[in-house]
Order: sequence, then structure tokens, then C-alpha cells
Amino acid sequence: MLRSLSISRSQSWLGKIEFRIHISSLLKSEMAPPILSLVLPSETGRVLSIQSHTVQGYVGNKSAVFPLQILGFDVDPINSVQFSNHTGYPSFKGQVLNGQQLWDLIEGLEANDLLYYTHLLTGYIGSVSFLNAVLEVVNKLRSINPKLTYVMGDEGKLYVPPELVAVYREKVVPAASMLTPNQFEAEQLTEFRIVTERDGREACNILHAAGPSKVVITSINIDGNLLLIGSHQKEKGQSAEQFKIVIPKIPAYFTGTGDLMTALLLGWSNKHPDNLDRAAELAVSSLQALLQSTVNDYRRAGYDPQSSSLEIRLIQSQDDIRNPQVRYKAEQYQ
Amino acid sequence: MAPPILSLVLPSETGRVLSIQSHTVHGYVGNKSAVFPLEILGFDVDPIHSVQFSNHTGYPSFKGQVLNGQQLWDLIEGLETNDLLYYTHLLTGYIGSVSFLDTVLEVVNKLRFINPKLTYVCDPVMGDEGKLYVPPELVAVYREKVVPVASMLTPNQFEAENLTGLRIVTEKDGLEACNILHAAGPSKVVITSINIDDNLLLIGSHEKEKGQDPERFKIVIPKIPAYFTGTGDLMTALLLGWSNKYPDNLDRAAELAVSSLQAVLQRTVNDYKRSGYDPQTSSLEIRLIQSQDDIRNPEVIYKAEKY
Repeated sequence: MLRSLSISRSQSWLGKIEFRIHISSLLKSEMAPPILSLVLPSETGRVLSIQSHTVQGYVGNKSAVFPLQILGFDVDPINSVQFSNHTGYPSFKGQVLNGQQLWDLIEGLEANDLLYYTHLLTGYIGSVSFLNAVLEVVNKLRSINPKLTYVMGDEGKLYVPPELVAVYREKVVPAASMLTPNQFEAEQLTEFRIVTERDGREACNILHAAGPSKVVITSINIDGNLLLIGSHQKEKGQSAEQFKIVIPKIPAYFTGTGDLMTALLLGWSNKHPDNLDRAAELAVSSLQALLQSTVNDYRRAGYDPQSSSLEIRLIQSQDDIRNPQVRYKAEQYQ
Repeated sequence: MAPPILSLVLPSETGRVLSIQSHTVHGYVGNKSAVFPLEILGFDVDPIHSVQFSNHTGYPSFKGQVLNGQQLWDLIEGLETNDLLYYTHLLTGYIGSVSFLDTVLEVVNKLRFINPKLTYVCDPVMGDEGKLYVPPELVAVYREKVVPVASMLTPNQFEAENLTGLRIVTEKDGLEACNILHAAGPSKVVITSINIDDNLLLIGSHEKEKGQDPERFKIVIPKIPAYFTGTGDLMTALLLGWSNKYPDNLDRAAELAVSSLQAVLQRTVNDYKRSGYDPQTSSLEIRLIQSQDDIRNPEVIYKAEKY
């Protein structure tokens, strides 16, 4: 358990709890500086990202924050856990945040007027109690910025406990602006099996009716092909604009790709708010370039990329994130 | 079979950094200030967050959680079990307690056992402008235990004085302080900001071989009339990054680091002004994200003058 700490400047030195007073950096007046990422016009925004942190490797916030920063966003990460490495390794060690500790951080931000965000981003959430805390965060952020875009990523797991699925379906999906489930999650959330492209589009429609105006089912296996299906319901009740992108299958397993994909979709759909297909092309192209580089690098290192799941070459692929060459085009459904 | 750590197996100009610093949800200090620039420069960075706070402690209030020495060690053990403890660099900044600092020393030993060539870049954060902002007991631990194991040290003037017992009034004093520190341990010392006769200087010193005269230089830095947070952490990260690229030219590395930092600060001041805010009203969060091009490809404006 992490010790929680709450201190205001007027408190005197506390014996066991040490903290630092930046004498030279104390705010000189009670007036806090404005949050420039909100005050100055820009194509980007300010993202609160609540995901896991692993010291080593690229999943959760390690996979999502850097790409968004590359794309010009100020990102405020809340690390829901701090683990040595992701849980797919033979072992891991670290600490977990509970709902109250998450809320402490939110209160700390609120007390300093730092809760105005343009975007909220969440990924894997491990428990019903944490999920409920996240829902309260959504409400709090929306009470401060009603136009908050809440992008909900996928759990990244093949198995999600049923009690979690129920909370997602009934409470979280209705609050989301954009949803990026994988095929399995889309099926769980809609209780609908996706076998054909038409099923995929129908699943999107079901999700639109529940809440989010933007849905991207990031990877669907249909007849041996891998597809992305995206859907944007521009006005409630209207038919959604839907498209697909055919994605090459790369014969390897990676970790962190779902979290990266969701972050890229957030970034590019912010830049192209009315063109989800364009945003998805850019996101897919970045991701594919990165995955190809990853496989190539493991081979160069003399390692068979199919031997185990691979950590992605995120840092080495930053140019593909900043300026993707669009290789995978969206095909609109009529 | 675990996959190899590519950042170590494949040749590159960069490396793999373990960075043990604080994390603030909002703002740019500690790991928030150090990790992104190093990633921009091509390093794989593994951050251990020593705390997770809502914002830095200069705001009227903050909330969050603190890691203790045991929890730090848990993470190290987790990495060790998976053979993930081979690093080229270790980076530390602000540390709030003797017990945590002692654990960091054990981390240094463990990492060096695995990679004897580990470069430990240590920012001995203790205070500034004549005031200590860590528990006084830390000073002796830094002086006696940490400095001897550091490869590169990046103290400010106040910290250099505390570590050497020397008052730095002239450039000659600054150079003497570097010599004292070389003798204690680190082959590279950068005193990141010294006030001499109303000018702001950086003094750098590289002792290429033990016992040899070090190569020394200074860079005159413009004073920007504003207070910022996170600049020390950013500076140390930039020095790590650029000195890895130019291992035998600390002056070149420092020019690049200073030029990047100054560009970040100037942009920060300009952006606050653009937003209608007087930059001197309070301390400012740096425009790190918006300055990434200056970090990736700094225009060298501030040149080193060799002594």
C-alpha cells in the first residue's frame, strides 16, 4: 500500500513525512499561472490519461503518453499501478492505486484549479471499484468542461470478469465520446457476435445508441483477413458514416499495441474531428510502421520474432508517429 | 524465453536509462521533465516514480503518494527476476529522505554489478539560492556516499558549495570546486548555474584520466527575468543525452543542452506573455511539449569558452 500524503504550504515541517519546499519556485502570489495548453489556440489539447505504468516496456501509459506528446498534446498521466514490467512476464512486482488514492490526486488537482481537460483517456481497469472511481472522474471533469472528450480504450485482455463487463456496458460506455474496443470486447459490450463486416457495422450502431458518437473496432478477424471498422455518428439518430481499413497480418505477438492505437486515434481524431476515416488511416499507418520496425529489429538482433511476445520499438519509431506515411486507406461503406 | 532488450543488443548512439525521480500528474518537474526529452533524443527510459503527486510542491497544496525504500527495492527485484536490470545509465534527481537515498545507493551497486560500465548521472538536489530544501542529513550522505559513485554530477552553485565546503565567488573557485569533486569521484562535473558578478555562468569540467588536468570550459547564460520549475531536471537529462552522444566533448554536450534549455525557457516566457499573463507574477511551468524540436535539434547559440 502506498502512503497517502496531503500537505498544504501552511503546515510546518513534519518529522517523518519529508517534503520539499522549492523556495525559489514558490508561487509568488496566490494567482496560479494559466494553463497555456488551454488558453493558447492549438490543434492539440490537454489529456488526463489514467493507465498503468510499467518501469520497463511499453504498455499502458508507457505506450500512450509519448505518442500523444509527440503529436503535441500536454498529457497528465495518473498511473493506476506502478509495476516493474507488464503482467505477461513470468513475474512482476509493484504497487497498485486504489479508488481513494486516485481520488486524492483528483482532489489535489482540483484544489489548484488544474482539472480543466480537453480529453480523458482510460485503458485497462482492473476492478469494479476503480472503474466506479473513474466514472466519478468523468463526471467531475465534465462538470468543469462539458465538452470533454472521453476516449475509452480496450482492456487488452482476452478475458474480462463478467462483473466488470456489466459496469462497462451499463455505465462507462454511455459516458464515452469515443470507444476503441477490439473484436472480443465489442462482442461482449454488445452481446452480439461479429462474424461478417455487416455484424461489425451493426455492433458499432448498437454502441452509438448506447453513447459514443465515435466507435473504432480496432481489429476484427473476418475470413482470414484483419480489418479495422470505424463508425462516426455525426448527429444523434442519423446514420453513421462507416468505413473499413484492411490491415496486414504481421506474424508476431506484441504487447501495448491496443493502448498505442487508442492514443493515436485520440490524437489524430482531434486533428481531424470530422474525418474519423482520415484519423484512422494515420493511426493504422503509424502502428503498422512501428510493428514492422519492431519485427525487423528483433530479426536483426538474431531473434525469431515468433518465439515470444515482443516489446514495441516505440522510441525508435517516433518519426512514424509524428509523420506517418499513409499506406492503409479507408474504404467508406455506402 | 524472454526477448532480448533491443536497446542493448542493437548498436545505437543512445542507451537505456533507469530514471528514479518524482512524478507529478500536472506540470513538468522530475520524471515529467526528464523522460520526454531523453525519449526525443532516442533513449529508452525506464522511469521509477519515487512519488506520484497531483502537482509539484510549490503550488499552495498537493496530494499524492510516496514510495518508500522497500517499494523501490520491490521494483528492482521485479526487474531483476526478469533479467531486465542491464542499464547503460542511471539518473537520479530530487530525493526526499536518507532512507530512500540509501536504497538508491544499493541500486547503484546492483546496476554496476550487472553492467560495470554503467554511467550514473546524479543531480545532487539539495537547495538553491542559499536555502536548503531537503533534510540537512542528506547533505552528508551525498557528500560522503553518493558523489564517490557518480560518473557525472550536475550541482548548482549552492549544491557545489555544500558538497565541497568551498564558497564559490569567482570562476577560479568554480574550477576549484570541480577539482575537489573530481577527486571525490565523478569524471564529469557541470555546475549548472553560477552567479558571478551579476552574470550567470555554467562551468563544466571533464577529467579524462584520473590524476590528469581536467578539460574545463564555461558558457555564459542569459538571465531570463522569470522563475521556472523543472529546469534543473531538464538540464540534467539533456546533459545525460548529449554527453552520451559526445562522450569526449563535454563542452559540445553542454552547448547543446544549454541551447535547448534556453529555447524552452524563452518560448515559455513568450507563450505566457501571448496569453496575457505577466511571466514575473509567479513561477512558470515550462513549455516542454511545444519545444520538442528545440530538444531534438537545438540551434547552438551559446558557445563554450575553454579555460
